[in-house]
Amino acid sequence: MSSPAPSDREVSWPGPSQRTSGTWTARWAVGCLLVGLVTGTLSAQDAVEAGKPGWALQPLVRRPVPASGPSHPIDAWLVASGAAPATPLSGTTGRATLLRRLMVDLHGLVPTPEEVRAFAGSARSEDETLVDEVDRLLASPRYGERWARHWLDVVHFAETHGHDQDRPRDSAWPYRDYVIEAFNNDKPYDRFVQEQVAADALFPDEPALTPALGFLAAGPWDESSLRDIREDVIDREIGRYLDRDDIVANVMSTFTSVTAHCARCHDHKFDPIPLTDYYALQSVFAGTEKAERLYDLDAEVHARRQGWMRLQVALDRRDIEALDAAMSDGLRAEQREWERSVVTRSTTWTVPQPEAWFSDVPVTFDGRSVRLPPSPAVEGAGDGRGLKLLPDASLLAQGTPPATNVQMVSLTVPAVGITGLRLEVLPDPSLPAKGPGRAENGNFHLTGFEVYARAEGAETFEPVALTHPSASFNQDGWDITKAFDGNPYTGWGIHPEEGKPHVAIFELAQPGSLVAGQKLRIVLRQEHGRGHTLGRFRLALTADTPPLRTSPIPEAVTRALAIEPDHRSPEERLAVTSQFLSGRIARELAALPEPKRVYAGASVFPANGGQKPLGRPREVKVLRRGEILKPQGVAEPGALACVDGLEARFGAASDEASRRAALARWLTDPGNPLVWRSIVNRVWHYHFGRGIVDTPNDFGRMGSAPTHPELLDWLAVTFRDDLGGSLKRLHRLILTSHAWRQSAADPQSPESGRPLRRRLDAESFRDSVLRISGRLDDTMGGPSVRQFAMSPGIHVTPNVNYAAYDLDSAGGARRSIYRFLFRTLPDPLMDVLDTPTGNQSQPIRSESFTALQAFALLNHPFVVRQSGLFAERVAALEPTAAGQARRAVELALLRSPSESERAEYQDHLEQFGLASLCRLLLNSNEFHFVD
Amino acid sequence: MNPLLSNRRAFLWRLGGGLGGVALAQMLGGHGLLANSAQATGPSAGMGPHFRPRVRRVIQLFMNGGASQMDTFDYKPELERRHGQKFDPGDGSRVEAATSEPGKVMKSPFAFRQHGQSGRWVSSVFPHLAQRVDDLAFLMSIESRTNVHGPASFLMNTGSLLPGFPSMGAWVSYALGNEADNLPTFVVLPDSRGLPYNQRGNFSAGFLPATHAATLLDAGAAEPIPFLRPPTSASYVTGPAQQAGLDLLRRMNQRHQALSPEDSRLEARIQSYELAARMQLAAPETFDLASESEATRRLYGLDEKVTEDFGRRCLTARRLIERGVRFVQVWSGAGGPSNNWDNHTDIITELPKIAMSTDKPIAGLLEDLKARGLLDDTLVVWSTEFGRMPFTQGATGRDHNGGTSIGWMAGAGVKPGVVQGESDPWGWKSVDKTTTYDVHATILHLLGLDHERLTFRNNGADRRLTDVHGHVIREILTA
Repeated sequence: MSSPAPSDREVSWPGPSQRTSGTWTARWAVGCLLVGLVTGTLSAQDAVEAGKPGWALQPLVRRPVPASGPSHPIDAWLVASGAAPATPLSGTTGRATLLRRLMVDLHGLVPTPEEVRAFAGSARSEDETLVDEVDRLLASPRYGERWARHWLDVVHFAETHGHDQDRPRDSAWPYRDYVIEAFNNDKPYDRFVQEQVAADALFPDEPALTPALGFLAAGPWDESSLRDIREDVIDREIGRYLDRDDIVANVMSTFTSVTAHCARCHDHKFDPIPLTDYYALQSVFAGTEKAERLYDLDAEVHARRQGWMRLQVALDRRDIEALDAAMSDGLRAEQREWERSVVTRSTTWTVPQPEAWFSDVPVTFDGRSVRLPPSPAVEGAGDGRGLKLLPDASLLAQGTPPATNVQMVSLTVPAVGITGLRLEVLPDPSLPAKGPGRAENGNFHLTGFEVYARAEGAETFEPVALTHPSASFNQDGWDITKAFDGNPYTGWGIHPEEGKPHVAIFELAQPGSLVAGQKLRIVLRQEHGRGHTLGRFRLALTADTPPLRTSPIPEAVTRALAIEPDHRSPEERLAVTSQFLSGRIARELAALPEPKRVYAGASVFPANGGQKPLGRPREVKVLRRGEILKPQGVAEPGALACVDGLEARFGAASDEASRRAALARWLTDPGNPLVWRSIVNRVWHYHFGRGIVDTPNDFGRMGSAPTHPELLDWLAVTFRDDLGGSLKRLHRLILTSHAWRQSAADPQSPESGRPLRRRLDAESFRDSVLRISGRLDDTMGGPSVRQFAMSPGIHVTPNVNYAAYDLDSAGGARRSIYRFLFRTLPDPLMDVLDTPTGNQSQPIRSESFTALQAFALLNHPFVVRQSGLFAERVAALEPTAAGQARRAVELALLRSPSESERAEYQDHLEQFGLASLCRLLLNSNEFHFVD
Repeated sequence: MNPLLSNRRAFLWRLGGGLGGVALAQMLGGHGLLANSAQATGPSAGMGPHFRPRVRRVIQLFMNGGASQMDTFDYKPELERRHGQKFDPGDGSRVEAATSEPGKVMKSPFAFRQHGQSGRWVSSVFPHLAQRVDDLAFLMSIESRTNVHGPASFLMNTGSLLPGFPSMGAWVSYALGNEADNLPTFVVLPDSRGLPYNQRGNFSAGFLPATHAATLLDAGAAEPIPFLRPPTSASYVTGPAQQAGLDLLRRMNQRHQALSPEDSRLEARIQSYELAARMQLAAPETFDLASESEATRRLYGLDEKVTEDFGRRCLTARRLIERGVRFVQVWSGAGGPSNNWDNHTDIITELPKIAMSTDKPIAGLLEDLKARGLLDDTLVVWSTEFGRMPFTQGATGRDHNGGTSIGWMAGAGVKPGVVQGESDPWGWKSVDKTTTYDVHATILHLLGLDHERLTFRNNGADRRLTDVHGHVIREILTA
């Protein structure tokens, strides 16, 4: 980040460039003393007037409203600070303008002529009429839809990952619905903040709040870096720091209007935020990932699911500490019971010495007998493709991995009464990712397992029928039964459980049919391709009584079970507990009702390919100059030290959720002045078009100073203490001021405290057009409407074709907030009208006027279609051309045309049709600006 | 400074993007209100360059996927000596690759020869371009900060690893404004097979006013500019209706404007429709390549299937800059696993195919620009997001390598036939650590812009294309 040289006025400020030693905090304190702010005796007003930084950090002080001047406190503050009120809107024209402004403000929709007539013609007093109207609009669900969109701008919400692999998030929408409901239900603001940062930790009995955590995952996510590249490379770690940066920036910009993210590489150049505070914030989210989070509305079911998932994560991570912590007493007792039962039931296996082994053999079976190649010269490792016999009687693949393979082992039956076979697949250091397969990730696909036996004295090998195959682990979609379906493209796999031993057990369909001394040939097919062949395996036989299909116990577990529980090593404990839980967790989860899903901040979630939950916070280091290769000490979770009176460090809590809970409490502490100032300023900004601080995300020295600091503070204190954090009450307070009722100013105007004329934002434009054409569909909530045709792309990102969408199809006329938001492939109409893409927080909408925007507004199929529908509506109401011209203007512009205007419009519609006129009205400046 | 004035100016710039901003800036500038606007912290949209520019416009050719440096321009005899050995840089540093287990050292499967007066080494994949090396200034070792396509493409296009930052073309548009009054300022011509990694994210205006975003043109489509004409469904929008309609709309807007004459945005919005009308007239002529001579079409390879698509876009790029477009990007390769420069599987077959599709068109573009004198004030930049590894991925592929990559520039202000920088003997890491920021700083410099002074305030920081980095690469500049 670049920095201009500090101006002369600010030389007393100890900038980082002058810093040679000491902590930033100490320097900050010195700086504060220098400017006389630390004592708390100076108000933000004084700080601003003194031209000092840090006004936003000053404690909020309750001050009396100026006694003289107007009765409405906002007007009183404005007048007291020298703002001269402009003419308030009044009279019929004024009231129509006021209602249009009010409805766009609160609903993002223009009013109907009927609504204007009712409002302008009301016999009640102007104040009463306005209050009633404000209350009516705040009570409508259209209010939440409008204000949720503002919120989504700030938190940079969209529904795809962004980046090169811009994958759609099918479950991001519940967060959008959560926000709409929060506004409509007037959730107290502190509670709203807390839920978005730590609903799970602070309100564990209300799992229905889980979608609030969608806030943490609102931003982009780099799927390549965080899922698909190798886990052990530096780019993965860089990706994690950058992803946490997105979360930290989102939290701090949104709730505190502080640019903490500017301290990623160095102490903040302008605000008192040292590098260590920034990494303290990173540490809060050290265990938070963006992922699909499962939840249940029923608190009891929710708790059960989370418990089992937590166990699963610990199990997958082989994290015995976490596993021990997550086991309930009941489950522990069950495990002891289970241990007793399996010890007594373990099967006795005999490992026969292989007599011959073959690799890459075209084994065929002609219906009667298995055939081998003429000369089994591939035995051993001679040609670089074979197998090597290891001392434990296992066979290890050698040489360049083939794309497919068929292996065969010859054995002699050692005992009578064989009832089953066991195939162990074993890891080995020589194999990719330790095996047991030879694919790059250590997986294999066993596409067939066949046993052939030769009766004593017979010539040919006959197939031996197998039944009830079972495996210690089955890859999703690649379970052991797939090795028996005759399909060479399906089989048994073990992803993502590579690097560990696994076993499969097969019963003989006719137990005892094999006799001692009989020759067996066992064929292992791996014909799926892409190198998914077996690396190391071992065969064993048993004569135990079936059924053998109970979950087979690997040898390591059997060994560990033989040791007294108290004497087991962590490895052994892990082995036993893993075995106990393996099938159990899946069964328990399967028995629960279908969960709800939301894309949210999560530490426990179903693995998403190479993005696997860790279940606990990672270690976050303070990175000097933000460089991954320059780590300093470990960062302790915390927040900003510059907020006086609040504990800036949260202690080294190991639990991911409790770190977030601590931050949520820090944010919403009544003593945190940033959060309250931030929100009242945002609300002011959306009502007036310009905030009291016109950099709503930056209350630091690089941001603007408040134009009316005392008003800002009064609003913040009043909102916090008197209005109970109710946004609806805050709206009512602001909208009933005379300040808000003044005629609109243009943005160049130096007057503050007066509403600006604004261009309709993209959503308000689209929704208002639908309202005017009579097509607005007010269905609320649910999965987003994909107003495009989607087909598979070349890579992850799909092809998205907005032009192919049928605008008349179901959902085509729903409010814009329910449209699916594609980060890197935004809707072209909304895009040219400045809808944010969700890549960065956007606290202020830009208002652009471009040729491409003009093209879209003239020629986009939406505008063209809605103009036609608008015309049909007018034609149905008015039979004459003159009436149509008049009615079209009334519906679009909420006024009657002058006689000459009407004549001009009538002339146009008579020549070119009513739809053409309607299209022009929807393109007009009068329609696009809100006075 | 008076905070009110500062607010007002910042506000003006944020809201008044596009013509409004420009018109307003000129208006206020005339009254001395924006007297300091070209200074360090002030916005400078359309305010003109900081110093005398060497270049008026830029054509950037982007090889999407990570062009292999040691198989194109960075000749490495060491790889021939060590072919098939385990890769060991010898300094104990960890060898890793983003998507694979590092394989054995692999020499280039292509023959290298020296070309031109400058004696540049070029492999056999670029026979035509090899003939033009004396026009080019090579950057032999540009270092990226990542080995992953998404962030690397953002970095090379926007100077940030994260999404949401303005593309270089947007910065140039913001700084210098437009030369043409009937075409966009920043145009992107993506591969007809699809958008590159990050899709439109690479070309966005980020936090700059939307008017600076790229206009994506499908050079092969019947309608290269989106919504240039009404859809066929709009039966009521006939030619005369359109013309009469625009006239009526202007009258409506002027009546409305008269009520609030002080608000310059109303005029800006009127002007946007005027510009659209002019663009509608200019576009068909601009994209009609039929008027080009047969010789020119052949020069760009329009007569051969393999070069036709990229050649068409190179030729369109020339026509665009001739007509005053300031920044044109031409992309080779879409995102995804094939048909681009991301040759993970087999360098031997994948690279020649994509290289050939660009070789003749690029050589033709350079020759054409030179013949027309356009190279005197046009900069051509050849770039990619990162290089590739000196060792194998699988049998004969190469994985991503942010350690070093290659680029070149040609045209105004650029010393022809020189090289700058050096990679290590394997082409694994940059020795001199030239960065993507340096490339950006140099391009801005040629446009008369100081990369440290071209800033825009966003969410608490004065953002630059070059972040806090970047040095102009003086070695490749003429005095």
